[in-house]
Amino acid sequence: MTGRFKILVIDDELIVRESLVGWLKKGGYHVEGASGGREGLERLEREDYDLIFLDIKMPDVSGMEVLKQVKERYASTMVVMITAYGSVETAVEAMKLGANDYLMKPFEPEQLTLLVEKLQQHKRLLDENLLLKQQIATTAAERYQDIVGISEPMQALFQLIEEVAAVDSPVLIRGETGTGKELVAKAIHARSPRRFGPFVPINCGAFTESLLESELFGHEVGSFTGATKAKKGRLEIAQGGTLFLDEIGEIPMKMQVDLLRVLEERRIHRVGGTRDIPVDFRLISATHRDLSREMERGHFRQDFYFRLNVIEIQVPPLRERREDIPVLAEHFLGKFRRETNKPLEGFDAGALELLCAYDWPGNVRELENAVERAVVLTKGRRLQRDDFAFLFRGGAPSEPHSLKEMERLHIQRVLSLCGGNISRAAKLLEINRTTLHNKIKKYGLRVNG
Amino acid sequence: MVGVVPLGDVGGVAVRIVAANVQAVLGLATDILEPRPLPESAYLADRHQFDASRIVAHMAAWTDLPGHRRIVGLASVDLCVPILRFVFGEAQIGGRFALVSGARLRRNADGGEAPLDRYYERLVKVALHELGHTLEIYHCDTPGCLMQFSPSVQHLDRLDVLFCPRCFFVLRRAVRALVQAPDA
Ligand SMILES: [Zn+2]
Ligand SMILES: [Zn+2]
Repeated sequence: MTGRFKILVIDDELIVRESLVGWLKKGGYHVEGASGGREGLERLEREDYDLIFLDIKMPDVSGMEVLKQVKERYASTMVVMITAYGSVETAVEAMKLGANDYLMKPFEPEQLTLLVEKLQQHKRLLDENLLLKQQIATTAAERYQDIVGISEPMQALFQLIEEVAAVDSPVLIRGETGTGKELVAKAIHARSPRRFGPFVPINCGAFTESLLESELFGHEVGSFTGATKAKKGRLEIAQGGTLFLDEIGEIPMKMQVDLLRVLEERRIHRVGGTRDIPVDFRLISATHRDLSREMERGHFRQDFYFRLNVIEIQVPPLRERREDIPVLAEHFLGKFRRETNKPLEGFDAGALELLCAYDWPGNVRELENAVERAVVLTKGRRLQRDDFAFLFRGGAPSEPHSLKEMERLHIQRVLSLCGGNISRAAKLLEINRTTLHNKIKKYGLRVNG
Repeated sequence: MVGVVPLGDVGGVAVRIVAANVQAVLGLATDILEPRPLPESAYLADRHQFDASRIVAHMAAWTDLPGHRRIVGLASVDLCVPILRFVFGEAQIGGRFALVSGARLRRNADGGEAPLDRYYERLVKVALHELGHTLEIYHCDTPGCLMQFSPSVQHLDRLDVLFCPRCFFVLRRAVRALVQAPDA
């Protein structure tokens, strides 16, 4: 996940902290403050930051100690030490321990801007490398075909999709990872008057800021190094159809303004271009974040939010509609039976009981993966409880496991489910990132999905 | 709609020029209000400067100017904020109050005095920039745009008295909303 540049300011002095947070907010950055080393480390356990401004002198946990822990656990997070007159030696020491830079307070305005620009550039390069690696892995991720459900919440959802499809207003879809938000968007498109136009999805969290801009708006020849051909952006490609912006919460503030402008004026300029290009699409966006909370914290523009959220759709997590689990399981079984050509007859009662009891933190996507795995590995004609033992190892009498072993297997499974994303895995496991890191170390687990 | 308030000892010409330009660029009727004293509590004896964020907080407590949707204070003292050595101005993002000082705009980087028209131009740029913040415009990286953060007078001189299309879009929208909203 790349998206926006996130900054954490750790300083025990309220006035200094508020002043720096205030200045960074004017830059449209996603920024938060922590009142000391301990609070700072707690925040880092819950969320990823790209850059930390870290006060050297703090009463609870010193800046140097925080720096050591950050470098050990979150190596890619950049750190700028804040020093006072007279503690420059400590700052130099901090650079040896891996701090990216230091500033003496009060800062020279010019130094602060240059430094933030430099660090952002640095992060952009790291992200672009990371993206190249990820692109190989993500192609297989999104694939299931249809939304399935007999439960009351799903019946209500189908009803809503029908109603929403008929109008042309923007829709915001909310729901946990793996609940099938893109499927809902596709279903709306397929029932709408725009169904003969294209459905154009884009995951806003999967691009760096500059790449996202060129993906959305397209570019003209020579607008940046490497732009040897003009390219249409997805806003243009979606002409007459539906544009689906997934992970909309990851869009940087500046681009929120650009998109707001497109929604109001219905025309765009390509990057590096001056021509007015008219655009015509219906916008559907989705997020797993609580955008009203992001707005309160100044991370999301209110005017943009109101534009997106004309109609809101909630997709329920699988654990809140357990009666759909057998239906979904059958649906996926049918699909993989066709794909693998295995003569499978169905699930036995024990297997269904086990599937219905499980909490499915990864939602429908996790269930699909589980059924696929069972189909591939089973030796019998019916899928049995044992075929899903990997979900909760304790369920298989033939393979007794210790509590520790269960924990190890469960963590490994969640990690691969999350493609090695520590934050997401920690969230699913409902433990903090440090605890997860410690357990990975303890069990010697592989982190790459 | 917009009020310009001299804070302490400020030249009348500067006040009129700022008011005229604010009215022209924002398209909002702009009044010059009675001068008011600077809050002494905002003075930082150890830095020999005024804390701009404290002045803005002081202004935000004014209750007698309900008719003005935006108010920009004009001062002539050296301003800073706790984290920066100096600032040219300060504002509340999306709030009603902004502040500008000419203290650092009279001189060029080499220490020489800037011509008067150049000084007024700088003052107008900072006033519009800070008012931009009150209209929820953030710092911009488009070259020449008024919403670029200016860390020096040389940088300020490179800006046009113009907002880039993106910032202008937000500005126009915010101004329209101000005009349409019922009086506070
Ligand atoms: Zn500013
Ligand atoms: Zn701009």
